[in-house]
Amino acid sequence: MNQDANNRSPDFLDDAALDALFAQACDDAPAPLPDALQARLMGDAIAAQPRRVRQDGIAARFAGWIAEFGGVPGLAGVAAAGLAGVWIGFSGPGLTGDLVTEFWQGAATVSPTVSGWVEDGPLVVAGSDLLTLMNDEAER
Amino acid sequence: MPRDSSYQMTEPEGQSDDALLARYARGDAAAARELLDRLAPRVLRLARRLLQDQAEAEDVTQDAMLRLWRIAPDWQAGGAKPSTWLHRVTVNLATDRLRRRRGVALDAIEEPGDPAPAVVEAMIDGDRRRALDDALALLPDRQRVAVVLRHLEGMTNPEIAATMGIGVEAVESLTARGKRRLAQLLVGRRDELGFER
Repeated sequence: MNQDANNRSPDFLDDAALDALFAQACDDAPAPLPDALQARLMGDAIAAQPRRVRQDGIAARFAGWIAEFGGVPGLAGVAAAGLAGVWIGFSGPGLTGDLVTEFWQGAATVSPTVSGWVEDGPLVVAGSDLLTLMNDEAER
Repeated sequence: MPRDSSYQMTEPEGQSDDALLARYARGDAAAARELLDRLAPRVLRLARRLLQDQAEAEDVTQDAMLRLWRIAPDWQAGGAKPSTWLHRVTVNLATDRLRRRRGVALDAIEEPGDPAPAVVEAMIDGDRRRALDDALALLPDRQRVAVVLRHLEGMTNPEIAATMGIGVEAVESLTARGKRRLAQLLVGRRDELGFER
């Protein structure tokens, strides 16, 4: 059945009427969103939203550079290490040989105490004594 | 004749959708709400017309809007309108769901026979808009999608063909059969809808 036949047939709504329905459907404002859907959509929008302050250019690069060092605390550690290096350089600890000498001299001041401990006698237990001691412990 | 509607929506007065999307991308939550109010109701209506299922239409709306939010930082102002982009996304999401619902390609769906007149009488009720939506619900999926996209969304036949993954001739056939079926379904309400014989 062609279009003209539709327009004349009592079994079909004519094309003009159908087009009028389409036109009205196009022009009608859509219904507002259901509240629950509105809330879901707004939640998605906030969750997917980029950060409010977006850094660009030099500031962004500087922030990235700071982050490479672990942020401000990391950068403070690097600065402290640098200052320590400068201090060591200015204080002039002398040659490495002097440092070694100073180290062993310090060790010598400790050695009498160690020697005294050793002079109390060697910590040696005879094999038979050790077995006797183990048996006593086992019998307890 | 197809009309321009949500497919090529004119933007409300005030800031353009592009500008609002840019504001959203800069962190302005108020812009998100305004965009939602402008765009989402039409998306939901389109999805509901295509899917004839409120829950699925809401899911599609949520999915489509989420895609818009995600693309906002990279949105190129001056190109396609956000409403047009959103329309295409919605149509694609809805047609994908129709395919999955049937488990076969949309163009392979067997069309059912005519519904009983009593069923039609029971379903077609209310004013013209409601009558049209109710009649659309009675069309087979492929016919309904083609009619909605052509006559309510203003898409061209080649665009519909690309969206549905079928040929242009098939689209023409579907829209013609869909319109004819609608005319048949609605004739019983001619007087009630205010049309003269």
